[in-house]
Amino acid sequence: MTQSRRNFIKKAAALSAASYVSMNLPISMQDVAKADEGLVWHRGSCRLCGVGCRVELGVKNGKPMGLRGVPQSRTNFGYVCMKGMHFWKCMRHPDRLTKPLYRKSKKDKFKEISWDEALDIAATEFANAHKAGGGNAVAYYGSGQALTEETYFFQKVMRGGLQSNNVEGNPRLCMASAVGGYLTSFGADEPIGGYSDLEKAHCFFIIGSNTAEAHPVLFRRIMRRKLDNAADVKVINVDPRVSQTSRIADMHLQFKPGTDLSLLNGMANVIIEEKLYDEEFLKNYTTFKSGKDTVDFETYKAQVAQYTPVEVAKTCGGSFSAEDVKTVARWFAASRGTVTLWTMGLNQRKQGVWANNLVHNLHILTGQLLKDGADSLSLTGQPNACGGVREGGGLCHILPGHRPVANEKMRAQVEQAWGVPPGRIPPKPGLHTMAMFSAVNDAKIRAIWINCTSPVQSLPNCNLYNKGMDRDDVFIVTTDIFQTLTTQKSNLVLPTCFHFEKTGVYGCTERRSQITAKAIDAPGDAKPEVWIIREWAGRLAEKMNDPVIAQCIKPFEGLDESYELPKAIWDEYTQKLTAHRDNDLRGATYEVLEQMYDGVQWPAPTKDFALTGGTVKKFVKGRDPMADTESKDDLPYQFYGPAHADRKLWIWLRDQADPEEIPDSEYPFYLSTGRIIDHWHTMSMTGRVPELMRANPYAYVEINPKDAQRLGIKPGDMVELKSRRGVNVLPAKVYEGPVEGMVFAYWHDQHEDRMINKVTKDAIDPGSKEPEFKICAVQVKRVSGPKPLTPYIV
Amino acid sequence: MPISGVVITCRTEATEKVLADLGQYQSLEIHGSDNKGNIVAVIESDTSEDMERLIDTINKHEDIFNVGMTYLNTEDEAEQMARGERLAKPFGFRKPLAPDPSDDTQ
Repeated sequence: MTQSRRNFIKKAAALSAASYVSMNLPISMQDVAKADEGLVWHRGSCRLCGVGCRVELGVKNGKPMGLRGVPQSRTNFGYVCMKGMHFWKCMRHPDRLTKPLYRKSKKDKFKEISWDEALDIAATEFANAHKAGGGNAVAYYGSGQALTEETYFFQKVMRGGLQSNNVEGNPRLCMASAVGGYLTSFGADEPIGGYSDLEKAHCFFIIGSNTAEAHPVLFRRIMRRKLDNAADVKVINVDPRVSQTSRIADMHLQFKPGTDLSLLNGMANVIIEEKLYDEEFLKNYTTFKSGKDTVDFETYKAQVAQYTPVEVAKTCGGSFSAEDVKTVARWFAASRGTVTLWTMGLNQRKQGVWANNLVHNLHILTGQLLKDGADSLSLTGQPNACGGVREGGGLCHILPGHRPVANEKMRAQVEQAWGVPPGRIPPKPGLHTMAMFSAVNDAKIRAIWINCTSPVQSLPNCNLYNKGMDRDDVFIVTTDIFQTLTTQKSNLVLPTCFHFEKTGVYGCTERRSQITAKAIDAPGDAKPEVWIIREWAGRLAEKMNDPVIAQCIKPFEGLDESYELPKAIWDEYTQKLTAHRDNDLRGATYEVLEQMYDGVQWPAPTKDFALTGGTVKKFVKGRDPMADTESKDDLPYQFYGPAHADRKLWIWLRDQADPEEIPDSEYPFYLSTGRIIDHWHTMSMTGRVPELMRANPYAYVEINPKDAQRLGIKPGDMVELKSRRGVNVLPAKVYEGPVEGMVFAYWHDQHEDRMINKVTKDAIDPGSKEPEFKICAVQVKRVSGPKPLTPYIV
Repeated sequence: MPISGVVITCRTEATEKVLADLGQYQSLEIHGSDNKGNIVAVIESDTSEDMERLIDTINKHEDIFNVGMTYLNTEDEAEQMARGERLAKPFGFRKPLAPDPSDDTQ
């Protein structure tokens, strides 16, 4: 042992002992080498989940070395979760795609080709498909993980260039019902408040969310609030499953899957019966809606009256009492500030929009809105579902700036901003995700671009749609950083830059846009998506001899792809497309965003206002600049959202309705699917981080101990889950988690035996078109004792 | 040359005396102490047996309750064992336990 190592060991020994007794030692750090010497820290957002944690990537000699949180950020205050802590390991991972790959038939092996050839092929195939079938024969399926600049630019080329509204994204699978709920209840998408309400709340109503595992850094804030004010703050958890989130709940209501609509109605009933509603707020700001009719308070009162606490307790399966329903309703209504948080449990449902409406109903009814500590806060799953897809025009029925495609005036505004001829954007919405992949099945779509997502695994009832993606008469191009199950079904695979290898903006759950600057070069020949789109569109314009396509990329020609190009795209989007819209982002220029530790909450029409952080509470005069400029009367709240002409909040009369497929004698169990803390989506990233794989190497099925005993299933046994659509074989985790009669599996696993979307059902919400991932019916059968399993990654 | 980090817990009122008494041991380096009777020290000895003997001795001090080891590095010894220069003798200086008459596996 050399002398300096000896000294180091002795210091480590002393510090180790001192830490046990919380003793500070006066150890001089003079002759100690520091790990972060020579590191430059680059600020950005985390690549994963919708919380929007701000982090800094440490780079030394062009190599990523580590990651730390930003303490001044109002989203995470310096904390990160283990996924955030490790995602940077994907940057220099040996599996990174570095060269374009092509094969004419999906049965052939991939060959490496040049970018020139690759872009040419992509353009030719799309041009041919367009020639044969017009805008209906082409499609773009994007992602809530793509940068706003990427989503905006892709949809511009699709709509303005290829005249196709077949623009969709994976947020259709997670957030569409939340969008539908906000638009129909508030007249505008996205939450009225945000994270700052958490530290002021006195009641947390957590329904359809396992916040502890899906949004860990936000859960930390909720948990802290509860633990620091145990007597004053109530936590209500509503979930058929006991999750990590349930552990801090004062009341956990386990309802039979799909019956939560009656519980929410029941709470409204109690609130009205016991006169806990805000009459003034209702009078000034509320309209009552039932179907296409406008009704009144008395009609609403009569409708919820059927949902008596006794009825509700019975409908929900009897694991909680009528008194519990009353308690929860009283806590909700009477607290000094109630925040509801939800995510997929309410959204991924056939009645997703209705479930969202019913939550908003409770907030409107009790006036638990617009003041600090009170909000109906939909948690977004992905880092940029809001900023890119919902705001940037990334769904088949909406244009950038929250504009409906079907509205001629809105189309005209966009056409003018783009300098394309009037009538260029097709008047009808395109195909929503499930319809899009059905069209692929039928080869009605001949060319589809799949960007930064893996529908082969993430679509419900995935076997059905995988058949279509195997077709050789449907050209598939994918852009990604690693091989996935979806690149495996492509003709053309284009290697892209990862996070921090390119510059762009993410907009998180609380309307906050935040910038991540390029910090390192991408490996090999990987390119940023914005460059790929521009080069592809340029070739499209040539092959199709269409100057309008050229017009779509004209403002961006010749710009450097690392910074000037994304900046120009962001400028066009924010300055031209969000001006005077409810998501006004004109103040959030790159220059402003780069000065922020975190980012800017819209609306933020001016730079000065943006620099303060933007709008914390929408619709409130004095706090939301648009509430002032759009003010129509003297009232303090102005609901100027684009979807409600009467400028009111709408309470919707919504009845309990069953999920599409409920258990019967043949398929007697509910199957619910969800996420766990260690992994992200289809695991192409987290599956390559050894620490995360060690924590959770493969999927299992959670079975209630009573059910396990009845079925003779012991922990670790191999269990078959079978639905009318597909089969999985998973090891059993016997655990009090799921309610009796229900099993739970997480959806991240890529292995064909453990890919739970083979089993799920593709029923959709008629309004939002979002699939019901959360509920279907299965058989559960013991197959064998424990078997050795290996984790699997493509 | 094994190195260990230890927390020595002593009677709070006797801390000064204990610190002075510990000063006689060449192999022991004191790094800090507090008013709750905790003393943080590093022990560096020639062999593991020496370290055990020293800790055993310190434990017998009338004002010391416990010597708790939090960190131990024996990479030097491990190298010597790998080269065949030393034999491992954990607890070598203690008498073996008497056989248990009720244990019929022995």
